[in-house]
Amino acid sequence: MSETAKAGTDTPLVETRDLIKTYHLGGETIHAVHGVSLSIARGEYVAIMGASGSGKSTFMNMIGCLDVPTSGEVLIDGIPTSEMTSDELAKLRNQKIGFVFQQFNLLARTTSIDNVAVPLIYAGVDTETRRERATAKLIDMGLGERLMNTPAKLSGGQQQRVAIARALVTEPLILLADEPTGALDSKTSEDIMMVFQQLNEAGITVIVVTHENEIADHAKRRIEFRDGNVIEDRPVTNRIIAREPEPAV
Amino acid sequence: MALNPAKMISSWAVNVRIALTALRTNLMRSMLTMLGVLIGVFAVTLAVAVGNGAQASIMDSINNFGSNMAILIPEPDTERGGPGRALERGRLTSRDLSAVEREVPGVRAVAPQLRQSLDLTVAGTSTTTTGTGTTVGYGIITNHQATMGRYINDGDVRTAARVVVLGRTVSEALFGEIDPVGQSVRLDGVPFSVVGVLEEKGSTFGDDSDDTFIIPISTMRQRFVGDTLPGPDDLQLAFVGFEEGYSLRQAKQDITAVLKDRYRVRDGDPNPFRIRTTEEFIEESQTVTGILQAVLVAIASISLLVGGIGIMNIMLVSVTERTREIGLRMALGARRSDIRNQFLVEAAVLCVLGGAVGLILAWVSGAALTAFADFPVPIGLGTAFGAIVFSALIGLAFGGYPAIRASKLSPIEALRTE
Repeated sequence: MSETAKAGTDTPLVETRDLIKTYHLGGETIHAVHGVSLSIARGEYVAIMGASGSGKSTFMNMIGCLDVPTSGEVLIDGIPTSEMTSDELAKLRNQKIGFVFQQFNLLARTTSIDNVAVPLIYAGVDTETRRERATAKLIDMGLGERLMNTPAKLSGGQQQRVAIARALVTEPLILLADEPTGALDSKTSEDIMMVFQQLNEAGITVIVVTHENEIADHAKRRIEFRDGNVIEDRPVTNRIIAREPEPAV
Repeated sequence: MALNPAKMISSWAVNVRIALTALRTNLMRSMLTMLGVLIGVFAVTLAVAVGNGAQASIMDSINNFGSNMAILIPEPDTERGGPGRALERGRLTSRDLSAVEREVPGVRAVAPQLRQSLDLTVAGTSTTTTGTGTTVGYGIITNHQATMGRYINDGDVRTAARVVVLGRTVSEALFGEIDPVGQSVRLDGVPFSVVGVLEEKGSTFGDDSDDTFIIPISTMRQRFVGDTLPGPDDLQLAFVGFEEGYSLRQAKQDITAVLKDRYRVRDGDPNPFRIRTTEEFIEESQTVTGILQAVLVAIASISLLVGGIGIMNIMLVSVTERTREIGLRMALGARRSDIRNQFLVEAAVLCVLGGAVGLILAWVSGAALTAFADFPVPIGLGTAFGAIVFSALIGLAFGGYPAIRASKLSPIEALRTE
């Protein structure tokens, strides 16, 4: 990452201040996130845990600037986001955040290169450079042989690697993963966890939303949600280090 | 953000590629949607072309007869009168025409006309056709001369010579391949000598301009039509040809003044003559063909409207189906305008492809009409360009609402859609 933070290194990369999200559903008010204040520093590897409906996904969507809080503030790299226009938020997502989803969310009938290059289109990068950078990221992910494959021709693990390459192609500060192994078998999950740990070693801040303890134990810090509140925030003891360094391509 | 033209072109190119992929994905649906626009553009293009063709045909036939001229027509039923004045019938005489030639500026040539249908006979072969008794001026005004032999001349008119210049069709009917110049032909039994054959003019609206003949006006009057006219000097019609570019509006005023003076028409009384100019014919025909074209285009536009509604419908379906993709693109950094443009381009590509095929079909049909129905249906570059641009505009107009709807989606709502 060549970009330097606008604030000092002690500025949290992600900070939330009294973050609240409420939904109105059939006359009933649901407090999805009920006033969460926490901060995540540069270089952390955080697992956000919780049962379904605990508010962990809503929280992640807000720090990923995909969802707008009912009240409170999200600061990314020290910059408050509540007053940003939709274009500014789009730029922020494009430049600073890389998303990885449970269902991979690759474009069908589109090659790996073109899938990975999508964020660069919105960054205004020219065609030639897009292809070069997408190719480089795919090779980093061990997919040098799968550049021109469409998702239908790839295994689940390979698809998630393409998705990770896509998340990283704009060189973001944060990798946000929502149940990244939810659609994968345990062996492939381990493989993806290894990728995440390697990326974190390389300096990228990783935030993973999961309900699986085993996945969470690969992180360095674990934040648990229940009923819209953080009920536990502690370092991971007995951290699992993913093995099998040869990528299963 | 600074505008970088190269970047902008590249982002449009990307959108076109995304659009083509999306269209291929739903090939059948895309084709059917295109069909609507195709038919619409086909109909409108053809309607415009038919209108232009009608206009061109009329212009052709006007110019074929002679451009920049005035036609003088007697009004036989004009009753002028008042206290102490006898009723008088409208007339037009050779002397009137001479006065016009003398007194009106800008005149290039004048030509009187007496027309009559006669039987032309050569050794048992006979044909009936309408010919014109006139003077040398007729050939000048109508730009119609003899290709073989000669035209009638002043001497023929002075001596009421029995000479005839045949149209190509008549000549072929009577003489076949034989050179008719110098041959003899009977017109209603009166022997004439053929002095020339007129150059071919072809036909307009199925009317054969070569099925005619020309004889001296004096001969026509003495031999054939004299007793049908109110006086020894009367004409059925007269033509006054003006110099190229000379104002026919001015000419009409001048002629009116001369004739009013000769017939002592009081202010407020109707004129015993009528003057029409080629300019007026052109204006009138333009009005008529303009209305015809507008009606055709209006009817054709309904099909284009239906095609446009089809586009909007299918784009709404497309946006709904691809809500998740829209959410994903937003998560990856697409701005609202990026999403809007993507769907606008998709609609425009659909329309332009449909429009292009419609245009080609219209062009083929136009060419077929021109070839087989003898009716010109010109589809020029302007019409073609207009059709394509118009197709794109339809895409933008009818794709606009779905595209804006797509761009207004909330990223997270869109991403959550199954």
